[in-house]
Amino acid sequence: MRSSEVAQPNRRQFLSSTAIALLLGSTGRGLGETIAGSPPWKPFDASPPQTLGSGTWYFLTPDEVRTVGAITERLIPADELSISGKDAGCVEFIDRQLAGSYGSSERLYMKGPFQPGTPEQGDQFPLDPRQRYRLGLASLQAHCRETYQKAFADLPPEQRDQVLTQLQTGAITLKDVDAKAFFALVLQNTMEGFFADPIYGGNKEMVSWRMLGFPGARYDYRDYIDKHNQKLDLPPLSIAGRSEWRVKD
Amino acid sequence: MPVSKRLGGAAFAALVVAAIPVGAQVTGDAAFSQVEKGRDLAVLGDCAACHTAPGLPPFAGGVVLQTPFGNLVAPNITPDIETGVGRLSLQDFQSVMSKGIGKGGYHLYGAMPFTAYTKVSAQDNAAIWAYLQTLEPVKNKIEPNQLPFPFNIRASLIGWNLLNFTQGEFKPDPKQSPDWNRGAYIVEGLGHCGTCHTPKNLIGGDKNSQFLEGATLQGWFAPNITADPHKGIGAWSEDEIVQYLKTGANRFDIASGPMAEVVEKSSQHWSEADLKAVAVYLKAGRNGEAKAPAPLPAGDKLMAAGQAVFADRCMGCHVATGAGVPKLFPRLAQAPLVNSDDPTTLIRVVLAGSRAGTTRAASTGPAMPSFAWNLSDQDVAAVLTYVRNSWGNAAPAVSAKDVASLRTSLQP
Repeated sequence: MRSSEVAQPNRRQFLSSTAIALLLGSTGRGLGETIAGSPPWKPFDASPPQTLGSGTWYFLTPDEVRTVGAITERLIPADELSISGKDAGCVEFIDRQLAGSYGSSERLYMKGPFQPGTPEQGDQFPLDPRQRYRLGLASLQAHCRETYQKAFADLPPEQRDQVLTQLQTGAITLKDVDAKAFFALVLQNTMEGFFADPIYGGNKEMVSWRMLGFPGARYDYRDYIDKHNQKLDLPPLSIAGRSEWRVKD
Repeated sequence: MPVSKRLGGAAFAALVVAAIPVGAQVTGDAAFSQVEKGRDLAVLGDCAACHTAPGLPPFAGGVVLQTPFGNLVAPNITPDIETGVGRLSLQDFQSVMSKGIGKGGYHLYGAMPFTAYTKVSAQDNAAIWAYLQTLEPVKNKIEPNQLPFPFNIRASLIGWNLLNFTQGEFKPDPKQSPDWNRGAYIVEGLGHCGTCHTPKNLIGGDKNSQFLEGATLQGWFAPNITADPHKGIGAWSEDEIVQYLKTGANRFDIASGPMAEVVEKSSQHWSEADLKAVAVYLKAGRNGEAKAPAPLPAGDKLMAAGQAVFADRCMGCHVATGAGVPKLFPRLAQAPLVNSDDPTTLIRVVLAGSRAGTTRAASTGPAMPSFAWNLSDQDVAAVLTYVRNSWGNAAPAVSAKDVASLRTSLQP
């Protein structure tokens, strides 16, 4: 019984899939293209990163925005090194990622069968990130209202830290999602938002890059190869440029 | 099945190839060499640039020329009776080339550069005509005159010719070398370099006092190719001019845009002697003697912003000193195009990117990527202003308004 659950193709499946492959292989004209001379080139040809404009929310509801803000503010608190994750735009980043292909797991195989995998196999969830946020935030809210008679965002910072720690360790259970996995997802996305290029909504004014001394999206260091043991202090550079590009008045 | 079809095609091709020398023997060696000479001259004059449209048979016409007055379409010059030049005689052709007057006495528009072709010798015209007779007649009806009123009235060209046209075959200058004279014959005549490189007056005629000093057409600036050391090619040696025309690239520059087509279709096929002659003539030409302007000061705000953009977006290829990488990334320091008063080509290349011409000698065809998605009008203006005023360059600042208007016209 056990062995039949594992996705081992039987003889019939193997034969039919081979037949389909042969059929596609023989009738398709193929996507290949013969290029003679120099490779093709078109004016204005570019594949810029896909970004969503600021000033509006694309996936999160106002209530969810408040909750995610209250979480990211505690995961990366404002301190002497930097502003908080919330102030750096992590909520905007998460909102835009959920609205895009990441949120719908567009680039993942999502047809199942779903079963627990090894840690090396990564996410094996049937839910995509949008569903995990929607259900996870609602469950977290329900837990806080039940336990503290308050929304998560209205809890004092210490209490929020306590709830987050309980999520992280699995000390509390959420109704619709795995608490530990939900915490791990939000932590992961918050870090991504804090350190990704500002064009994606987070890392406002390259705050994390300035904190680390990371010079940003540069690609040519030939002029620095011979400068051994010197502090270069290169200002960070975003895909969208940097403030030095602007004409100073 | 497909394999045998392909074999059949190859066999057919072999037959065709075999047929050419047989035909030549029938009509005689003299006629054959006359046709071959005409073929070379047609390449030298780059007739195909206008008379061969992409996807259509050679010389069947159809290339649209956008002029400030409206569109003109290059006609079909295959010997087709109805739609080509099948009814024309050598005398008719000679009249087209030397007088700009077509069969039946109508005047040609200056888009057909008869103001230059008038210098072509009658012998050379006869050879070109002999070659055109050997082309496959192609039925392709073309209405060349698509100009709006009043420019579509050909009689207006009588006045135009009075102002802009001096008829007459090229007369060698006995005081100059044979190379110089051959170069002048090519540059001023069949090569019709001035069609793009000489500034135009209000009615589209050449400003002959500014011969080859650079002009804007079809959204490109064809740079100054006089021996002016600042805006022209005065710093190029004869060998470097030859190298540019033969391969499309030298240590200063790489041909792109319309010049890439010229190099690909025409100048890479020129004889060594003709290339040398053109280089000798251009090097010996006027050098403007206009004093180079002073560059903008490095402390200028636009320059400072431009320097930052250059460091982040341009330096990887064009390097910090603007020296580029020979034959791969054009040199920006002391480049004629960079120092031109008119920044049209520079703006265009930054916005749309550009592809180098590919020749047999330099087949890589390196391309500059488009920066339209990444740089604002102000960014482009700043970086070009910086490039035009660094490393020995000096040219007027570029305004964000110029960038915006070219952006709109190129990408409506």
